[in-house]
Amino acid sequence: MSTVEDDGDTNSIRFGPSNDSEGGSKVVFLLKAAGGAPILKKKKWALPRTKTIGHIVEFLKKYMHLDTQQQQQLFLYVNQAFSPALDTTIGSVNDCFSSEGTLVLHYALTEAWG
Amino acid sequence: MSTSSIDDKDITRELWQSRLPICFILSDEDMSKVNRSESPEPLYLMLSRHSYFPCIIEKIFRYYSTYYKGNLNDQTNSINLNNLWLEYESIPLKWHYPIGLLYDLYTSSLSSSSSVSHLPWQIIVHLSKFPENELIRFPDIESIEAHYMTTLKEADALKHKGQIIGDMQKRDHKQLWNSLLQDKYEAFWNINIKLMSYTDNLQYFRYIPFRIYILDKPFMQKLFSPYDIEQNKWMTLYDLLQYTLNHEVQCEKLANEKKILNNNIENYRVIIHGVQPPLHSPIQWLSEYFSYPDNFLHICLIENQMR
Repeated sequence: MSTVEDDGDTNSIRFGPSNDSEGGSKVVFLLKAAGGAPILKKKKWALPRTKTIGHIVEFLKKYMHLDTQQQQQLFLYVNQAFSPALDTTIGSVNDCFSSEGTLVLHYALTEAWG
Repeated sequence: MSTSSIDDKDITRELWQSRLPICFILSDEDMSKVNRSESPEPLYLMLSRHSYFPCIIEKIFRYYSTYYKGNLNDQTNSINLNNLWLEYESIPLKWHYPIGLLYDLYTSSLSSSSSVSHLPWQIIVHLSKFPENELIRFPDIESIEAHYMTTLKEADALKHKGQIIGDMQKRDHKQLWNSLLQDKYEAFWNINIKLMSYTDNLQYFRYIPFRIYILDKPFMQKLFSPYDIEQNKWMTLYDLLQYTLNHEVQCEKLANEKKILNNNIENYRVIIHGVQPPLHSPIQWLSEYFSYPDNFLHICLIENQMR
């Protein structure tokens, strides 16, 4: 994800047209480890609304050096309850499931909430 | 919202029973590798609109694999179930969309005239050259079940903060999926009716689970309440569509997209389950009676052609 930037400024969380002062439209989300998955140093990420969950999964697999030969899988969860379909945009997930301006996604190497 | 009457229940039964006649034709590429004297005839199946293609691909594969006796284990031929994919008018079909949704979205959008009948729906079966970059492989039955269940959980998260599905026993979850697979309407609705109830002293769902599909765009999904407390009125399908399109246009403009969505509803035909529901239908009612078994309203917007 060459477009990912580390947005260290917590005051500039943007989640849609109604709360956007800079004219950008990136979705900021937090990644939290679940089910014994390795903890990422970088927890806060930002992506354009149109990027899909599938895109994030593929990126994280490479970023975390998951073993593609062994077909290691990565699961992303919302509300610690369900996995959005891979062609869902992060914009939709944000619009529907962010809480108080923050979107939290949990990631796991096994089906933590299958 | 009215309690269910005889008529409303009839609608859910009609929807459950709706089928599509589909004609599966082997691709030219794979036809050339057949090693029997006769070429495979097209395979005709009547499929449930709310089912998923992976539920029947074993059947499709078994049918065509008889024409490749001896070739199946040939590595160079790569004819195997794993490489099976379906195509309509050069579009690889996504395995995780209900069959009826795929039909409504693609046959309506790609026709030059809305009066042309697209039945039986002609789909090309490919047994090789899987389009890795465009499609996930048709997974096994367990994966489809997992996909169905997670979609159901998402719907309940929107309707009831996940309380109802969370309180259900595992065997209830199983009953939903198995009745879908085995085409058992009563067994399905015995459980599904619980997901149509109200929580938190509301007389409606907290938010409506819906997705709006326009050709060549990712689907749109937003938070939308079926009741406007301030104005004391029920929201309609029209209200939901207008809100979604307007919100989407706002997002596109903020992202400096070159091509902005047309947010004039008059420009579209609105199709759910192959019919055009009246736009003034209350969205709460549609959510209760017109959702797919995954509890989502899958709504197709077909752009009217310029004449």
